[in-house]
Amino acid sequence: MNEVCFKTLDQKDPWSLKTYEANGGYSVWRKILKGEFTPEQIIDELKTSGLRGRGGAGFPTGLKWSFMPRNADMQKYVVCNSDEGEPGTCKDRDILRYNPHSVIEGMAIGGFVMNATKGYNYIRGEFMEPFYRFEGALKEAYAEGLLGENLYDSSVSFDLYTHLGAGAYICGEETALLESLEGKKGQPRFKPPFPANVGLFGMPTTINNTESFASVPDILAKGGQWFADIGVENSGGCKLFSVTGHVNEPANFEVPMGTSFKDLLEMAGGVREGHTLKAVIPGGSSTPVLTAEAAMAMTMDYDGIEKAGSMLGAGSVIIMDDSTCMVETLTRLAHFYYDESCGQCTPCREGTGWLYRVLKRIMDGNGKADDIDLLMGVQDKIMGNTICALGDAAAMPVESFLRNFRKEFEYYIEHGKSMVKG
Amino acid sequence: MADIEIEIDGNIINAKAGEMLIAVTDREGISVPRFCYHKKLSIAANCRMCLVDVEGAPKPQPACSTPISDGMKIHTQNDKAKASQKAVMEFLLINHPLDCPICDQGGECELQDVAMDHGSDVSRFTEGKRIVADSDIGALIQTDMTRCIHCTRCVRFGAEVAGIMEMGGTGRGEDMKIEPFLAEGIQSELSGNMIDVCPVGALTSKPFRYELRSWQMNAVSNVARHDLVGSNIYTQTYKGRVKRIVAKDNESVNETWISDRDRFSYEGLSHENRLLVPKIKVEGAWQEVEWNVALDFAVRGLEKNVRQADQLGALSSNTATLEEFYLLQKILRGTGSENIDHRLNVKDIDNTISLESNIKLAGLEGVDHALVIGSNLRLEQPMINHRLRKASLSGASIDVINAMAFDFNYRINSENIIAPNQTALTLASILKSVLKSAHTEVPEYLGNAEVTEIATQLANQLTDSDNSVIILGEHVINNPQALSISNLISEIAQKTNSTILNVSATANSMAAGLAHFVPGKGGLDVNAMLAANLNAYILLDIYPQYDFHHSVQAIEALSNDDTFVISLNSFKDDVVSEYSDVLLPIASFYETSGSHVNVEGKVQSFTAAVNAPSDAKPAWKVLKVLADLLELPGFHYADSMQVTSEIMHKSYKQHVHDENIDITVKRGVNVIWQKSPYAVDVLSRHAVSLQDTKIGQINSASMNKATAKKLEITQGDNYLGVPVSISESVANSCVFVNANHAIRGQS
Ligand SMILES: Cc1cc2nc3c(=O)[nH]c(=O)nc-3n(C[C@H](O)[C@H](O)[C@H](O)COP(=O)(O)O)c2cc1C
Ligand code: SF4
Ligand code: SF4
Ligand code: FES
Repeated sequence: MNEVCFKTLDQKDPWSLKTYEANGGYSVWRKILKGEFTPEQIIDELKTSGLRGRGGAGFPTGLKWSFMPRNADMQKYVVCNSDEGEPGTCKDRDILRYNPHSVIEGMAIGGFVMNATKGYNYIRGEFMEPFYRFEGALKEAYAEGLLGENLYDSSVSFDLYTHLGAGAYICGEETALLESLEGKKGQPRFKPPFPANVGLFGMPTTINNTESFASVPDILAKGGQWFADIGVENSGGCKLFSVTGHVNEPANFEVPMGTSFKDLLEMAGGVREGHTLKAVIPGGSSTPVLTAEAAMAMTMDYDGIEKAGSMLGAGSVIIMDDSTCMVETLTRLAHFYYDESCGQCTPCREGTGWLYRVLKRIMDGNGKADDIDLLMGVQDKIMGNTICALGDAAAMPVESFLRNFRKEFEYYIEHGKSMVKG
Repeated sequence: MADIEIEIDGNIINAKAGEMLIAVTDREGISVPRFCYHKKLSIAANCRMCLVDVEGAPKPQPACSTPISDGMKIHTQNDKAKASQKAVMEFLLINHPLDCPICDQGGECELQDVAMDHGSDVSRFTEGKRIVADSDIGALIQTDMTRCIHCTRCVRFGAEVAGIMEMGGTGRGEDMKIEPFLAEGIQSELSGNMIDVCPVGALTSKPFRYELRSWQMNAVSNVARHDLVGSNIYTQTYKGRVKRIVAKDNESVNETWISDRDRFSYEGLSHENRLLVPKIKVEGAWQEVEWNVALDFAVRGLEKNVRQADQLGALSSNTATLEEFYLLQKILRGTGSENIDHRLNVKDIDNTISLESNIKLAGLEGVDHALVIGSNLRLEQPMINHRLRKASLSGASIDVINAMAFDFNYRINSENIIAPNQTALTLASILKSVLKSAHTEVPEYLGNAEVTEIATQLANQLTDSDNSVIILGEHVINNPQALSISNLISEIAQKTNSTILNVSATANSMAAGLAHFVPGKGGLDVNAMLAANLNAYILLDIYPQYDFHHSVQAIEALSNDDTFVISLNSFKDDVVSEYSDVLLPIASFYETSGSHVNVEGKVQSFTAAVNAPSDAKPAWKVLKVLADLLELPGFHYADSMQVTSEIMHKSYKQHVHDENIDITVKRGVNVIWQKSPYAVDVLSRHAVSLQDTKIGQINSASMNKATAKKLEITQGDNYLGVPVSISESVANSCVFVNANHAIRGQS
């Protein structure tokens, strides 16, 4: 456990440059500055490692980096997505608090590979402590000469800036993040063009999640194969899972991909005393909910979770025990998406409000017999029809809650009260 | 781009790789519903109405933002595509008020149309609908934002075409609101186009509010005559009245847009001030009479007063049609007089601009450099300015030499605020710099000009660009060195391979040139006529206090006891009544057939959309009958088209102009006198809503502190009847008058 992003967690001042370097930090960066690494080598190692984007979509990082037109004669950018707004996730926050240098080094390496001399770390607006930790780490790195122009007299330059968001979930979507970073209203852009061609300020840009960047230095220090071997097929390495909800010890755990859900639940101290597991959202609120049965048989890796009927997402495991009213939970989730939709495209702007209002009406005891069909119909009409994935993210919980826990909804509609809470 | 083959609904179609799918379907006549897409605006892909099924793509793809590639197979009508389109339609309607019976867009609403084809009959939405509060955004656009479907066309129009982002989307999710950012509301000179681009009834025409349904009106193609573009429009009429004007596409003229002046000036047509009945003055008193009586009176008056042919003069305003100019000059020449002129606002005809434009409107957007001299282009020629803005957006650099700083809606490379009496000298320096760097001999008349750093920069810009244009505007017409300026520009253009765009005389003045409405050999120009105490005049839609440069002298000359004045006017005017002996009511814009000639020389003919009110008649008919009564030969026209074709078969030699160039600086304060943008002619002066806009309020004599001190006036005083405004944005020794003599009253 805790082999990569959290490896300094138990040491004194884990966020300091001293601790980071004592654990082999910046060794890869220093090698690069001495000319001992080529971009091609790095991309190959990343491909071998099986590292997939930790922001939710799981796109292979090595492949993503290879898409950048590194020889194009224009400014290029690397951007780190530390907006972490998905309900259930709190891992990036802790990477920034306890291991900020791994993000800096990962981004600097990315900058070198993609020939991008400028980077931005976009940090969620509410994350004040992580923001100060990261800023502190940046100062240290600059003071040590690890960032800036023509570092250690090499031809390599990399400047890194922090940007604090203003607390909109949608700004975690990579193109909305770019808009926000440019000083505009945070609204996703349609694709194509993709950021690798037209990104920040119209220039080629690569965006990765905090955890993705933080994993890069160790992969290159110890080899892609080493990382791949920690995990399982199709899911290289280890992954941070934020286990929250009805468990005794909610926390972030960095465990090998392929760890069984059962073991993970145990690490978090198991379900609360006197209760049984009812449902699990394995990857953050945007991923489909699973029944206890399906969850208990699942392993925590991309394929394992997909086989169980959901997605790994950002690795945000929300545990619900038998005291949970699924109607209430879904209503709360629906409100989140309704509240966070940017409002740009029709199905999401209009559909999220519709979903929430129908659910709220059911909660108020005014449900109608055909409301379940209506909800199913509305989510289906949002699904796949929007500019960004927030629309899908709003639709998926509705579909899975209704599919897996239909009875509870029928009960609520018929009796005007919760089957669980009365 | 490579030619490729794609398949749409089973048909093989050739297209260019990378084209957006919707461009292909539009070209092929395949109907794909859309709201946010607009061919002249950037892609937003936010409405999702255009979703179609692309084989191999897991999700439906928006046709407006999907670039095509070879072998792509697209279904616009299969179950998947239809399901998505239906889904989006349902979402659009849940919060839409569906109050079509009381919505002004009813009958011409894109949402209504698409809903008929793609919507369901019953809504399953039973929750409360969204209501959005409206704000007053000005005199021209009515908002009903509850109806807004958030397509952002209006927002993009502002940011991309008008060049000021006045509308924006605030808030997020369901609460996203389209509204102006500023409390002042919408101020762009092109704002009315937002009404045209808005697919629903969220933005509609305020003057037209609750008047009629679109299907109740006839739409007649027409041409606007307020500026040098001749924008194509539809005049929408009902029971013989123009009720609304909308843009008509003409890529080479106005593309898809029109200015607010062209869109809203029609309100003046129904102003209570229209001249409706022929009148004759008998022993100092006006009598309303029949047309034949009035014309008889006119002819007898001419016979009595014009004892020598050269005692008759004809003057016209610049808004006359090509045919009217032609017939009036033909009458004069038929009677043996060459006293013909339309350049009423020129102080000294011997010192005036003579420059031919040699660039097309569409060509303007392809220039890589422009030098604008003496123009507030944006408010004077909005559509020309729009073309230049497009050039600027694609990288053209634009330099300006003006006597006052104006708001441009694009980046200006160098703005040079220069006193009018320095303009010639500045151009001389530029020319000298051009000649020097080409190692050509510098002629003697440039001797005094010092090649300044600024002149060198301006010269280099012209020399270094492959496709530059010099634009000369209205402010220079009465410059003490107007002729020299014009000749210097010719020289500079020639030496730097630049094209020329002359926008110094506006409206239909190009038609006056084509109809040879200028004095011929032995004839008098406007100022000479006024000085010569002629015995008789025929005046075409003239309002002397606004139209003449020498208005006091003009009124005096026309008011002479022994001067017989026949006035053809579309509006009543006290001064005109005072000096006229016959008043003949004529048709205004859109009430007559005729032609407009735009700055590139394009002749655009139009028919009458409505009849002139009451007894008023199209001026071309009045002139024809007058000619018949005068027994002049060659006036057997059945319609105005026959006049047009006669004109097109003639060609008048441009009179040779004086090539003299004098660059000595003339001392003294220079006045640049200009009509306010919404009071350029008699129709716009009577258009009530236009006057209530910010642009309509422009009415000031601007000068800097030093000039004010010299003239011993202060802020709040009147100068030339216009309130004084002290501003350092005006060059030294210059008063910039923007006069608005709008006529208030009922429309
Ligand atoms: C609504 C929405 C919110 C998102 N929020 C985040 C986020 O907070 N952090 C993040 O890393 N990725 C987020 N993503 C995913 C990003 O768009 C993007 O895929 C990711 O940053 C890419 O990095 P990776 O390849 O390293 O995962 C979000 C996506 C959507 C649609
Ligand atoms: S799906 Fe929702 S959040 Fe995404 S662009 Fe559309 S409205 Fe905005
Ligand atoms: S006001 Fe009209 S044009 Fe503007 S966003 Fe709304 S619907 Fe679209
Ligand atoms: S027209 Fe394509 S999304 Fe609006």
